[in-house]
Amino acid sequence: MFASIWRLRHFTRPYQKQLYFGVGAFGVARFFESMVPFLTAAAINQMTNGDYDVMWPVLGIIGAVIMRYTVVTTARFAVRKVGLSVAFDLRQRLYSSLQNQGAEFFSQHSIGDMMTRAIADISLIQRLISMGTILLVILVYASLFGFAFMIYFSPLLTLLLLPPMPFIFWYARYSSRQMGVASKRVQDQLSELGTQVQENLSGIRTIQAMVQETREIRRFAQTNQAYADAFYLQDRINSAMTAWMPSLAAICSLTILSYGGYLVLNGEMPLGNFVAFFMFVSMVVQPFRVAGFIVNLVQRAAVASDRLFEVIELDPEIADTPSGRTPSVLSGEITINHLTYCYPNSTQKVLDDLNLHIKPGQTVAIMGRVGAGKTTFLKLLVRLLDDKSQSVIIDGCNIQDYPLAQIRAQIALVPQDPFLFGEPLKDNLTYDDPNRALEAIWNAATSADLQHTIEQFPDQLDTLVGERGVTLSGGQKQRATLARGLIRHAPVLILDDCFSAVDTQTEEHILSELKRLRRTQTTLLVSHRVSTARHAHRIIVLQDGKIMESGTHDDLVAANGYYAELERVQREGAENQNFEQARSAQ
Amino acid sequence: MKTHKMPERDYTMFEADLSGSALNVKLLRRLLNWLKPYKSELVLSSVLVLVASTLQVLLPIIISLVAIDHIIRGESDADTPDFGLIELNTYLAQHSGLPPLMIACLLYAVIQIAWAFTGHAHRISLSRAVINGLRDLRLDLFTHLETRPSSFYDRVAVGRVMTRVTNDVEALYELLRGLGSLIGEFVPFFVALTVMLAIDAQLTLLLLLGLPILTAATYYFRRITRHLFRQVRQTLSALNQNLQENLAGLQVVQLSDRQDFNLNRYTQLNTKNRNFELRSARVETLYGAFNDSLAHMAIGCIIWYGASHVSTLSMTLGEVILFTQFIGMLFHPIVVLGEQTNILFRAMASGERIFQAIDWDEKIHEPGQALALPKRLRGEVKFEHLNFAYDVGAPVLQDVTFTIHAGEKLAIVGPTGSGKSTLIRLLSRFYDFSNGQIFLDGIDLNHLHSHDLRRRVGVVMQDFHIFSGSIYDNIALGNPAITRQRAIDAASTVNAHHFISALPEGYDTELTERGQNLSQGQRQLLAFARVLAADPEILVLDEATANIDTETELLIQDALTQLTKDRTSILIAHRLQTIQEADRVLVLSQGRIEEIGTHDDLLGAGGLYSTLHSLQFQDKLPESTTNQEHQLDAQE
Repeated sequence: MFASIWRLRHFTRPYQKQLYFGVGAFGVARFFESMVPFLTAAAINQMTNGDYDVMWPVLGIIGAVIMRYTVVTTARFAVRKVGLSVAFDLRQRLYSSLQNQGAEFFSQHSIGDMMTRAIADISLIQRLISMGTILLVILVYASLFGFAFMIYFSPLLTLLLLPPMPFIFWYARYSSRQMGVASKRVQDQLSELGTQVQENLSGIRTIQAMVQETREIRRFAQTNQAYADAFYLQDRINSAMTAWMPSLAAICSLTILSYGGYLVLNGEMPLGNFVAFFMFVSMVVQPFRVAGFIVNLVQRAAVASDRLFEVIELDPEIADTPSGRTPSVLSGEITINHLTYCYPNSTQKVLDDLNLHIKPGQTVAIMGRVGAGKTTFLKLLVRLLDDKSQSVIIDGCNIQDYPLAQIRAQIALVPQDPFLFGEPLKDNLTYDDPNRALEAIWNAATSADLQHTIEQFPDQLDTLVGERGVTLSGGQKQRATLARGLIRHAPVLILDDCFSAVDTQTEEHILSELKRLRRTQTTLLVSHRVSTARHAHRIIVLQDGKIMESGTHDDLVAANGYYAELERVQREGAENQNFEQARSAQ
Repeated sequence: MKTHKMPERDYTMFEADLSGSALNVKLLRRLLNWLKPYKSELVLSSVLVLVASTLQVLLPIIISLVAIDHIIRGESDADTPDFGLIELNTYLAQHSGLPPLMIACLLYAVIQIAWAFTGHAHRISLSRAVINGLRDLRLDLFTHLETRPSSFYDRVAVGRVMTRVTNDVEALYELLRGLGSLIGEFVPFFVALTVMLAIDAQLTLLLLLGLPILTAATYYFRRITRHLFRQVRQTLSALNQNLQENLAGLQVVQLSDRQDFNLNRYTQLNTKNRNFELRSARVETLYGAFNDSLAHMAIGCIIWYGASHVSTLSMTLGEVILFTQFIGMLFHPIVVLGEQTNILFRAMASGERIFQAIDWDEKIHEPGQALALPKRLRGEVKFEHLNFAYDVGAPVLQDVTFTIHAGEKLAIVGPTGSGKSTLIRLLSRFYDFSNGQIFLDGIDLNHLHSHDLRRRVGVVMQDFHIFSGSIYDNIALGNPAITRQRAIDAASTVNAHHFISALPEGYDTELTERGQNLSQGQRQLLAFARVLAADPEILVLDEATANIDTETELLIQDALTQLTKDRTSILIAHRLQTIQEADRVLVLSQGRIEEIGTHDDLLGAGGLYSTLHSLQFQDKLPESTTNQEHQLDAQE
């Protein structure tokens, strides 16, 4: 556990001075704070001796209070600042690290998981430094100074105060652990409740159509009751702690009252010291209340720290290893030599001894069933996945020898899933280079048949898309991402099933645009539609990671294989499909 | 014909973000209605808090007045309210023979324990009342929401409504608990104040001067931080949103080589957030140590004032010490009050949102005297001159008249927005309609209770809802008549049995929220099984458009045939096969019936249907057809 916390020193190092200053200053502040009971004792002692001129002790108290306020606020701020700065740095590191992760990493970690690390884990560490340090320091200094003054007043009475201390400490820890369990249950029940409500309201039409309201309300009542029960339990534990902590501390008060009182009665202890004892004991015991909290915080922060370092210390998934001997502009020639690919931690060959040669300017259509390896193949061409066997050759050089940025700039991949950022449409279309000319944007939009859509929006290209703006339909999104690919005029353009949500007519338009724009450039496209593939120079059919068929449309129809079958089914089934499109064409 | 006019409603209320609101007494009073059933707990709690507060005040009195003044210094002021403790102490000491100091210790211990118990009892009885009251409120709210009609859910976001049941009720809890803790602070405050005033009114008033200072400091602190905290929250959420989006679109980021640019933007957001955090930390640290310091200052004042009064014998030393012990009780309530105000204002807004939802009285019109349906319907459905609009001036259905014969299978086709879904929604009485009529076996739908009707009309919607529970629960839906065997039979008939049996626990497999552990096709089959098990006389189906693999597609088509066998069925068809298997096809366009007839008839007629139908055969569309299609587009 401590090793996990210790790792954080790399992040606290730049702020070490501030941290030490803060910790030191807390000691000074605690000294001034201890002066209040000490001087109170002095004043009372004076009075018992018949000297009522208490100006000096009172001025001393006021001075100590002012000093303590000044020092403690400075110290607290210093430590909190360290916490905030460390959180800032951790966020930066996490962000940079995550940006260079890829498919392999995200196959094992969800975005939600990463968000939890970025939000909850970093905040835990911030609290450990800001709050945990302060509380721990208070606990230590309060005991140190409190006992020092008490020993100074009466070593024996101080000794008698010690036995209950471990119990108080233990009880504080015990209750806060119980609190932790109880509050976790409350959280769980609340999230259960939330899920149930959400689920219910989303499916309200089905519920009402099936006349299930009463049943669902009854079910909700149960969850609601469970939540109330959890809440009540939490309150009860909390209240018990509020009741019994002072009662345990009262054992110390009783000791002072009995033995201290006895000493005072016998004239062995001045009355002022007796009073000060009560004040010092409360100073020592009060921070105990948070002891359990500190332990809990350290434990949770240790876990958080491990979780963060797990990500922060990752190397970029795809290494940038330019050899410096590669052409700066690609011609678009792609050679695949015996390419076999398995996903990490898997022995299943997604691509199995693939061989392919694509000449510059060729348009190649790739077809095949779901899971045939199409997308994997395309990702290898832009190094979203990395082929370690050096089987992907671009313009005669290994793909790993190119600068990563060059590969991705000159081989433009339009992914299957049309993702748009919650930004203006214009920024989405020029995502790779925000400085593109307006004319280029409109040209690309026109080629992707998006210009009418844009013109419909009052804000045109400045229309904000996504949750906070306009929600685009699946087809519109696809066309927007297509435009984002087209605008780059890359030597190689790869379209991964980008027409699935656009109707055949629009597709026709886009395909003819592609033909016009990319006459001399290489284009690869994946599709399930024969109508898309038929115009390509070459069609290849992948199955189980192997090329099963390869040739022109006519070749493959004549070959009477998968493609021919697909062509037949779609020709006949087209009835249905086109019907649907006519219906839903917008 | 009677008409129930739909009132104009302002749904934007459900979008508005109420972040704070003024103190609203009416709202509080209304909230108290839910606490009424738990009055006895509240009364008990109030009595207990008084007892506990008094006990709390007695503890320092034992030390200052009993031990120090009476026992140690042998002097005491008869006017000082000691709650009879000195007398009790003397009495017990005399009768037990124990030293008075020992008796004082015993009293201290007893009172401490009594305080702990009464305080605990006070807090938990209050908590019980509040928790139960809010539990009831939450259930009432949920019940209300669960029975709002579709028209309501068409307009409001589920998330917004949901937070009313969770977060907003939560905020009310915070509010009530906050009020509870204020009681726990202010009652001891007043008890202590009474004692202090009796001892020395002048010193007490002097100390009370600290309260305005503390109040002002607290007020300013809250005012500054309320703004700062909001900035902190906003910048943090912007920061997290940026990260989230960056991760969601990471592939695009990497393909566009935007990592550095994006990191730069993130750094800006991160810096902005840190600066606000630093500013609020600055303010918080300044305020945080303020009230302790003020209390310590007050101790200095008490000693200063006390010394001169002890010298003139107008105060005892024990009384001076008692004052120093009470100082915390005097100042602390203000600090707590400061902590609670923000909660109070937030809770007011939450309360408004909750009551706004509870007051939302939109509902489906039910007949005063609902007709009872016969045990078994023939299943004839008749639409007569039905007109309908969701919004005034935007008709969705216009003069729709047609009849579906008992046992007939009718496919409805038409472009998006032509009113197909509305038609079936009205048949299930999801909306009120008054212009035109629908008859079920000759009975006017408006004379039926919607629940009775819905039990006879089985609906399978596109967004099929899975209930939490097992597969069997999802088929039977709590209907005791649907035995396990009947559920299995139904599932077998619609080809769902195969995949259900393959699940780890078969029919007992628990389904999660929205049925994420089932594929689209499987969910569809399960929906079929559910409807078949219920055996409604009328089947209404909005065919799913989702892409489903060919194999499952075949299963679904076959299941559909089974489902519609000998049953009046209305199918919003998206697949040609479904249309071809229907007895008749109804073509809707712009809310009007364009054509109705058999597939072959309509093809021959050369109308909209044949246009829709003919689009697929040509690779290249003839010019005229394309125009026709554009016309269709324009209609939407």
